[in-house]
Amino acid sequence: MEDFFTYSVILGIFVATFKIATPLLIAATGELVAESSGILNLSLEGTMTLGAFTGFLVANQTGNLWLGLVGAAVGGGAMGLLMAVMTATVKVNQVVAGLALNILGLGGAFFWYRSVYEESGAVAFPTVDRFQTATIPLLSDIPAVGEVFFDQHWLTYFGVLMVPATLIFLNRTKYGLELRSIGHNPEACDMRGVGIISRQYTAVIYGGVMAGLGGAYLSLAGGNQFFDDIVAGRGWIALAIVIFGNWRASWILAGSLLFGFLEATQLSLQASGVDLPYQLLLALPFILTIVALVLNRSRSQVPLSLTIPYHRGER
Amino acid sequence: MSEHVTDAPQDSPRRDDHETDAGRDPLSMLFQPGAWRLERRLYTRPVHELYATLIALAITAVIIGLLVIIVGVSPLDAFTSLYEGAFGNRESALETLVQATPLILTGLCAAIAFRAGVWNIGGQGQFIAGAIGTWWVYDTMPGLPAPLLFVAMFAGAAVFGALWASVASVLLVRYGTNEILTTVMLNFVIDSGLSWLLSGPWQANDTPYSQTERMVESAFLPRFFDDSRLHLGFALALVMAVVVHLLVRRTTLGFELRAIGVNKQAASYKGISVGAAIIVVMAISGALAGLAGAGELLGLHHRINFEFGGAAVGFTGIIVALVARLHPAGVIVVAIAFAGLLNGATQMQVGTGIPAALVDVIEGVALVLVLLAAVACRYRLRRIAHHG
Repeated sequence: MEDFFTYSVILGIFVATFKIATPLLIAATGELVAESSGILNLSLEGTMTLGAFTGFLVANQTGNLWLGLVGAAVGGGAMGLLMAVMTATVKVNQVVAGLALNILGLGGAFFWYRSVYEESGAVAFPTVDRFQTATIPLLSDIPAVGEVFFDQHWLTYFGVLMVPATLIFLNRTKYGLELRSIGHNPEACDMRGVGIISRQYTAVIYGGVMAGLGGAYLSLAGGNQFFDDIVAGRGWIALAIVIFGNWRASWILAGSLLFGFLEATQLSLQASGVDLPYQLLLALPFILTIVALVLNRSRSQVPLSLTIPYHRGER
Repeated sequence: MSEHVTDAPQDSPRRDDHETDAGRDPLSMLFQPGAWRLERRLYTRPVHELYATLIALAITAVIIGLLVIIVGVSPLDAFTSLYEGAFGNRESALETLVQATPLILTGLCAAIAFRAGVWNIGGQGQFIAGAIGTWWVYDTMPGLPAPLLFVAMFAGAAVFGALWASVASVLLVRYGTNEILTTVMLNFVIDSGLSWLLSGPWQANDTPYSQTERMVESAFLPRFFDDSRLHLGFALALVMAVVVHLLVRRTTLGFELRAIGVNKQAASYKGISVGAAIIVVMAISGALAGLAGAGELLGLHHRINFEFGGAAVGFTGIIVALVARLHPAGVIVVAIAFAGLLNGATQMQVGTGIPAALVDVIEGVALVLVLLAAVACRYRLRRIAHHG
């Protein structure tokens, strides 16, 4: 325990905090936009898994990681499109639609992976030459700060930048404000002539693209392979972070970083051989998520028509 | 103009009480002579829902057939070997029922909670809690005579499943914590909990593996036939389906939970104690999944190892319930069909080289299409005839 609080261990925790927070941050900011339009997309876990796979598939086949990201975005966007068709157009119950697409996304990724890479029942464990961290010149030379903030993956910078971008989009642009008004009062928007369905499609597809990219971080930057359990509950945790963050981008950043910090601390505790059952540490993120949801019950920013389908002329 | 408006109702070939407002609007009829129009039905007959589900499943078969062609196998070969493996002979048909047993129970677990509008996604965790409860009773009460021991073990499973579900329902009722997320998180938590039990307090002495001892034979559930693994748990699952049906349809609690499922606020105004009903329905739901855990442990595996939850019956139960449109009888049918898929997929993989994970895709596509069909059958196409 003595040598746990050394400079390098603590620095390592802060560096890892951002790495662990990245997929959550990307998926959660995307989900925030989708939910702002009144559609709860519960299929994040399946969407991230499919994105992690399509990204991996394209990168593995073409040898180009950037094309892999495009593949992940397309995979995630396709899931978002399906979700939008089911909820915005057909108006299936959003919870049920989300659960269904979760299953389709997971099943699709498992099947596709095996049909591409499985030879007579055995998988060859293919890998990609994963993204290296993008070191920012000069800034990364600052001691400690440089390593934590300026020597991360491009996707990490992207995830952090999406926070102010989402904030400005939802609060300062016409389109973002229209999205939010749809999420609060679709009837009024309909009367004003603001097209509801097209905006919901845009928002939900965007959310799917972001979830796909969040998944791709896991298979192309954080790791270099795809496996069934790659997302391991992060999609659900991203959903919890949106609620915990009270539908505010800045709080979503705080929530993701808090989660990343606790997870990073847990990992280095585990590595330092602390005398706790490792299973407790494994369960900790999920217990903490429940605790966080119980402690922060503020719902002041929830889109009022979230999960309620809009039928013109009814209600 | 006014003449046309008054004439319009007679232009319509058939009028009934189910017309929507849009349908009564004579002007819209004037402007769409001879057109087809989509109308909302005010009332959907159960038989329509059944047809819609069957059509959805047929379309699923077509989509999966196309997918199989893309993979490079003849769909006929794939479906034949899938069917052969599932129901081709007595042995495989009975094995399908073996695999259907936990799915019926976890399907009922999801169905009863969803009926009340409580989204219990934690069937998987409650299934494992049930197995833990069974083992706990087995471990702590070794002296019990056989019939009593079985009662105690199943009761232990039901109580543990119910308690694990109640964590989520108490948080929901007390703090409004989203039960979807808590039940999902609790699934992960109990996975770790089981792993700890298996590598610590409950680990068998004679092996290095994370598993319990094997149960003594007197604690095995009786089997129906000498040549099949089909055990008494299947009968229990069928009985529970009847119980759930009667509970939902014939009791006050059933009425209350259906009322809550339709509209929580209206139910509360009517004097139903929504919080209490949610606690009760989640406990029942968790208990059903717990019984599935007991059945698998006592009827099939006779020990808990790290692969115990590997078949993910808790998650498949959610799909079963939704495809069955939450009807207990439908849950039985769909559970057997899905078990057939799972059972047949192994043979299909050996015979045609198609990965058995095709079953996951089939389940996902079937569920999406059944949901779309359920909405579609709330509408009907009406021809608006034009009599010049």
